[in-house]
Amino acid sequence: MQQLLNGIFIGSIYALFAIGFTLVFGILDRLNLAHPAVFAASAFVGIELVERGGLSLWAALPIVFVFGAVLGLVIERVAFRPLKGRADAHFAGLISSIALAGMLVALLQWRYGPDTRRFPPGSFPDTRFELAGAQVTLVQVVILAISLALMVGLTYMVTRTRLGRGMRAVAENPTAARVLGVDVDRVTAITFAISSALGAVAGVLFAINVNTAQLGMGSAIELKGLAVIIVGGMGSLPGALIGGLLLGLAEVFAVQYIGSSWRDVIAFGLLFVILLLRPQGLLGARKVREV
Amino acid sequence: MLDQYATTLTFIALGAIFAYSFYAVLIAGQLSLGQAGFASLAAFSGAYLAPSAADVGEIPALLIAVVIGMSVGALAAVVLGLPTMHLRGVFLAIATLGFAEAVRVVLLNQEWTGGAQGLGVPRVLTVGMAWTALALVAYWFWRMGRSRYGRALEAIREDELAARSMGIDVGRHRLAAFVTAGAVAGLYGVLYAYYVRLIAPSDFDFLAAVEGLVTAVVGGSTMFLGPLLGSGFQTIVPEVQRAVGVEAGWIRPFLAGLLLLAVILFLPGGLASLIPRRTRMPSGAADDDAAGLAGRRHPAAGEPVVTLAGLGKEYGGVHAVRDVDLDVRAGEVVGLIGPNGAGKTTLVNMISGLVPPSTGSATVLGTAIGSTPVHRIAAAGVSRTFQHSKLFNRLSALENVLVGAHLVSRPTFLRRLLWLPSARRDERAALRQASRCLERVGLTSLAATRAEALSYGDQRRLEIARALASDPSLLILDEPAAGMNHVEAARLSELIRSLAQDGLTILFIEHNVGMVLQTCSRVVVLNFGEVIASGAPEAIAADPAVIEAYLGSADDDDVDGGLLAEGTRADATPAEDAPPDAVVNLRPGDAGTLDTPDTGPREAT
Repeated sequence: MQQLLNGIFIGSIYALFAIGFTLVFGILDRLNLAHPAVFAASAFVGIELVERGGLSLWAALPIVFVFGAVLGLVIERVAFRPLKGRADAHFAGLISSIALAGMLVALLQWRYGPDTRRFPPGSFPDTRFELAGAQVTLVQVVILAISLALMVGLTYMVTRTRLGRGMRAVAENPTAARVLGVDVDRVTAITFAISSALGAVAGVLFAINVNTAQLGMGSAIELKGLAVIIVGGMGSLPGALIGGLLLGLAEVFAVQYIGSSWRDVIAFGLLFVILLLRPQGLLGARKVREV
Repeated sequence: MLDQYATTLTFIALGAIFAYSFYAVLIAGQLSLGQAGFASLAAFSGAYLAPSAADVGEIPALLIAVVIGMSVGALAAVVLGLPTMHLRGVFLAIATLGFAEAVRVVLLNQEWTGGAQGLGVPRVLTVGMAWTALALVAYWFWRMGRSRYGRALEAIREDELAARSMGIDVGRHRLAAFVTAGAVAGLYGVLYAYYVRLIAPSDFDFLAAVEGLVTAVVGGSTMFLGPLLGSGFQTIVPEVQRAVGVEAGWIRPFLAGLLLLAVILFLPGGLASLIPRRTRMPSGAADDDAAGLAGRRHPAAGEPVVTLAGLGKEYGGVHAVRDVDLDVRAGEVVGLIGPNGAGKTTLVNMISGLVPPSTGSATVLGTAIGSTPVHRIAAAGVSRTFQHSKLFNRLSALENVLVGAHLVSRPTFLRRLLWLPSARRDERAALRQASRCLERVGLTSLAATRAEALSYGDQRRLEIARALASDPSLLILDEPAAGMNHVEAARLSELIRSLAQDGLTILFIEHNVGMVLQTCSRVVVLNFGEVIASGAPEAIAADPAVIEAYLGSADDDDVDGGLLAEGTRADATPAEDAPPDAVVNLRPGDAGTLDTPDTGPREAT
């Protein structure tokens, strides 16, 4: 039971991170490899807000959300928009976002140094619950609640609002969307902003969960995020949620029963099986090839 | 002098070899990150299995390890490639990345690899050896560039479907490229092991893979010198920073990222695009005709070329094509007309093997269609153009046509490695064939122009030249005159007739009815997926059923536009995404103007 809950808590953070990843991929067909850098940056910024700004953990979250959104706009403007219309935009976008991620992490190193950072002692409430014989902290419950609330909000926005309709139109066919009066550039920029904002919140929640932030934390979660979006189905939001929870649980149980050194093989074994048996992922739709 | 820079130079060579393993697949349009896994397997198995340097001497030990490593790398690529070669783009990248990570974790947990402590390996590699290995790898890719094999890989990168239609076995070519990548990555792994003295599984992690990919892309993934330039750039930038006194810490990675960003944004072809590229021109006169080309047997006039029996295609309940019986005999010029959405493109897609029929059977040039792959049908002698041009955009017009000659030219890569004169003769023969085809459509003067830079009409003509280059028995043209003005359309009509005089069988879809009536020996009219008329042009022009299909009958004159629109929408096929209200016009001069140009479909994954 304890393991199950731990798996769900960490899985919900994976899902939140992966949803940002998959949102950009599903709508814009681009893989944004600067996403993990946003994840890391926001963890450091969150810690600084609590440490120096004296904010409570939860007050820092909205600020980090906005910070992530701004980073997302910068990423889109610098690393993706200049590539628009190039034949190799796929490859080039990967590389330019890797370059930007490198610069972001370098800036983090400049501001915060190479060492691991923690929240100041006493920032966490001590409340604990007992649930079917398992220990649960209030912090964990809030992490889960925030992740779920953001994912539900995102799903509502994509399926029900005017902006979401624009996003889906762009995902279907950018040219047709433009012809029909959708401001594709604006939708693109907003998609990046939302995606990065979610990645940023995931970063802070992750830092809260383990009470550390490291420069390399982005690349550590990057692979997991990729695995999650493949398992769930590229571009599928509920798929990313399920994939994230699945990975979180698989990892926790792998550590329990097989040994911690094999944890990552489980994730990639899962990924591989899915790719072979169901390349479109659990909830992804197969794209029709055009002749 | 050399000693001072030996370490840097060795790392440039090693980095370049690793980047070549990415280049090997990038040139075929594949994005793989599994090379780190290949290199890791090769490094550990090579270092572990090869006899020790003390027993057999340093160089033999290294050579044996290299052989083991390259074999292991290639074998791993086969094992990984067979189940994953159908994946495209990012999916392949992530699958191969998953493989590399799994390899890393497995090796980390093995006894014989030393786990996280790593495996000690003697330092044998010198800067000279590293550069010799690099030179061999670069030579391989240099000679590959202008061989038939190299062109086929580039064609697959530019447009996989068109490459298939030119008779290229895409699956085999992609696997071959992947195995090459595995072998080169294996070479890198072993050389690296014999240089750094201590290898650990974490030397071949995700960051190493990304570094290799970045090096290949920064250098340029379309020219064989690219990886070398990329590695030089990536290795020298930190050295220069150190030399000018930039402090370690954050500034160095920041500047490296900034430079990388600048290269990728402002030099689309990578650093290699700074090197002027020699464009090849058609060589000399077309004197000795088909020497050096594979001969083709064409069916004699009157023999059956296409036999369709009850052929149908259904898309989720919509019958795009229904119960079509049709015979085309050698030497015929058959025009296929009908309103938008009538199923014309679906029909020719089935004939050329792109779309399997749902019902009925069909034989094309003795090959049963259905489960036969597209490239086999092309090999049987079918060649086609597409409704929306599918050219190899970044290749020159001449290179496009050379790819078209894939089926009639001989493989030249291995002989080019050995500089055999016969390879040169065969390449010349292919060039002559290509320039003859370009001349036939009147594009000789534009031979060196990139396909994407050609005008719309020229692109359509280039597609015809490319289709002709395979010396086909059956030529299928899908709306060849779309977007042409009436002068160009008349010239095209002349070309089609002259091709028919040479004995070529031609099946073409066209909305320019005037042109069809002038050009064809027989006209077939499709509506709602069914053949409603078939016969000589004069008879078709007077057929009341045909006139009704195009214009509506006399009674519903006032609403005919609406009826047509409704009909086409109900019968729209995924292949023909024409606007629902596009009414075919009968004036030859306005042919095809209603057709929207290709708006660049997103990459199918």
